[in-house]
Amino acid sequence: MARNRTFILYWLALVGFVLLPQLISVKYYIHLCVLALIWVIAAQGQNLIQGYTGYVSIVQAGFMGIGAYSTALMGMHFDLPVWLTIILAPFVTAFFALLTGYPSLRVKGHYFAIVTLAFNMVIFIVLMNFHDLTQGEAGITGIPKPGGKDALFNWRDRETYYYFVLIIAALMTGLAALIVRSRIGQILVAIRQNEDLVGAVGIAAWKYKLFAFVTSAMFAGLAGAIYAHYQSFINPEIFGIAQSLDAILAVIIGGSGTIAGPIIGAFFVVFLPEYLRFADSFRLILYGLVLVLATIFMPRGIAGIARDLMEKRRGRT
Amino acid sequence: MVEVLQQIINGIAIGGVYVLIALGLTTVFGILGIAHFAHGSVSMFGGYLTFFFVTSWGIPLLLAILIALLVGLVLGVLIELLAYRPVRDANHINAFIVALGLTMMVEGINLELFGHEQVVIPTDFSRVFNIGGVTIPELRLYVILAAALLIAAMTVFVERTKTGQAIRAVAENRDAAILMGVNVKTIPLVVFAISTALGVCAGVMVGSLFAIAPGIGEGLVVKGFAVLILGGLGSIPGAVVGGLVLGITEALAAGFISSAYKDVIAFVVMISVLLFRPQGLMGKA
Repeated sequence: MARNRTFILYWLALVGFVLLPQLISVKYYIHLCVLALIWVIAAQGQNLIQGYTGYVSIVQAGFMGIGAYSTALMGMHFDLPVWLTIILAPFVTAFFALLTGYPSLRVKGHYFAIVTLAFNMVIFIVLMNFHDLTQGEAGITGIPKPGGKDALFNWRDRETYYYFVLIIAALMTGLAALIVRSRIGQILVAIRQNEDLVGAVGIAAWKYKLFAFVTSAMFAGLAGAIYAHYQSFINPEIFGIAQSLDAILAVIIGGSGTIAGPIIGAFFVVFLPEYLRFADSFRLILYGLVLVLATIFMPRGIAGIARDLMEKRRGRT
Repeated sequence: MVEVLQQIINGIAIGGVYVLIALGLTTVFGILGIAHFAHGSVSMFGGYLTFFFVTSWGIPLLLAILIALLVGLVLGVLIELLAYRPVRDANHINAFIVALGLTMMVEGINLELFGHEQVVIPTDFSRVFNIGGVTIPELRLYVILAAALLIAAMTVFVERTKTGQAIRAVAENRDAAILMGVNVKTIPLVVFAISTALGVCAGVMVGSLFAIAPGIGEGLVVKGFAVLILGGLGSIPGAVVGGLVLGITEALAAGFISSAYKDVIAFVVMISVLLFRPQGLMGKA
C-alpha cells in the first residue's frame, strides 16, 4: 500500500516534469531546469556512495569533468558520433574511479573523503595545466550537439534538450532505485550502519564500496558528458571542489539515502544560488550557513521531513 | 647536489607548516572524531588578521600575531560550541558535512573582510645566509625554528602536563576518562583552542613565506590530512615525519620535475603509501 502510494507520487512527479516547459514562459528558467536535471543524475550517483554507503566522496564534479572532457575530446580526435561518445564517457570515468577508489577505500570514513577531495584537486590541476589536451583555462569550444544536420529533432532548441535530459535523468533515477532495492543496495546500507558486522558475516565489504564508488562516478561522468554537449563549451572552472560540495549539499538537503532526495536537492542547488544573487558576496557565507543548519536541524533532508509528515497524517486518520 | 640540498631546505620550511596544520587536525580528530575541514580556512583567517593589523594599524608583527592568536582561540572555541557540539552524537558523516559548511562560511567571511587579492605579510627579515652554496633566507630559517619550537612545545604539553594527559585519556577511551573524573565537556574546547592557535601560526607562516589568497586554506587543510594519512593517525611523530616527507617531496618535484604538477606528485606519493602501508608510515599495523 505504502509502496503503491510512493509509486503514484513518482508518476505524478514525472508528469509534472513533462508538462513543466509548457508552464514556464521564461527561456532562462528552462535553461536552469536542464541544468538541474543534469545535476539530478550526478546527485543520484553521489547519493549511492554518500547516502546509502555512508562514505562522503568529494570528487563528483571532478568526475563530471572527466566525463565532459572525454566526450568532447573523443569527438574531436577520433571523429566519433556524439551519442557514442556520451555512452563511452561514463566508462572512461569509471576507469579513473577504479584507479583511485581501490587504494582510497582501504581507509575508512573521513580519510576516504580527503583522498577523493585531493583527487578532485588533481583533476582540476591537470585540466588547467595540460594545455595540449584540454586547452587549459580557456576551455574547449564548439562541442557539437547530438544529432547531425538532418536530425529528427532540433537539438539547438532548449525544450528538445530538456526532454532528452529528462528521459536520461528518469532512467538513471530508475537505475539508482533498482540498485538500492537489490541485494547490493541492502549490503551498501548495511555497510553504512555497521561495516565491521558486514565483514563479520563474510561479505567482502570493499568490493561493494568500490562498486558504489565506481557507479557513482559513472553517473557523474554521464552528467558531465550531457552537460558538455548542452553548453557546447567547457572549462575547468565548473569541475572544481566547490561544485563537488554542491553535489554533497544536494544529497543532504534533499534527503540522503532516499531516491526522491537527490531530485529535490539538485533543483535546490541550482535554483538557490539564483535566488541568493541579491546577497552577492555573502552568498558563500549564506550557503555554508544553510548547509550547517540543515545538517544540525534536519539531518534527514526535505524528503525525510516529508515522509515523517506523511506518516504522522496516516497515523492520525 | 647543492641544488638538491637547496630544495630539501625549502621542503623543510613548507613541511614545517604542514606539520603544524596536521598537529591541529590530529588532536581534534583524536578527541572528537571530527575531520575539522574548516581548519585551513580558519588558519588563513589568522594570517589575514595579522596582515591587517600590521599594514592597516601599524601594530608590530609579534604583537599582531599575538592578537590574531587570541582571536583564533576564541573562534576555535566558538566553532566547537556552536557547530560541532550539536552533531556530536549524530552520525560522523554529519559532523563532516558541518565542517564543509563551516569551510564555506569562513572562506566567505575571509573574502568579505579581506577581499580576493592575494596578500603577503610584510617582515623585515630580508637577509640571506649562504652556507656552502646553499642559500637560506633569514625568514625561512625563522619559520623552520618557530615550527620546531611549536612542535616541541606541543609534544611536551600532550606528554607531560595534566591537561595533556586528560586529552590523551579522552582520545584513548572516552567513557573511562569520564569515570576517572576528566571533564569531557571542557577538553574539546581546550583542544580546539590549541589546534586553532597552531593553525593561526601556520597561517602567519604561509602569509609571510608565500602569500594568502582565497582557496589557499582549503589546499592547506587537504595537505594537512595528506600528512596524517602519510604519517599515521593520532601520532605526533607520524605527523612530523609525514609533514617533512610531503614538504620535501613537493619541493623536489617542483624543483626538478614541474612546479605546476607538484601537488599531483604529492597525491601520487600519498596514494602509493596507502597502497603499501594503509596505516601510515609511523602508524601501528
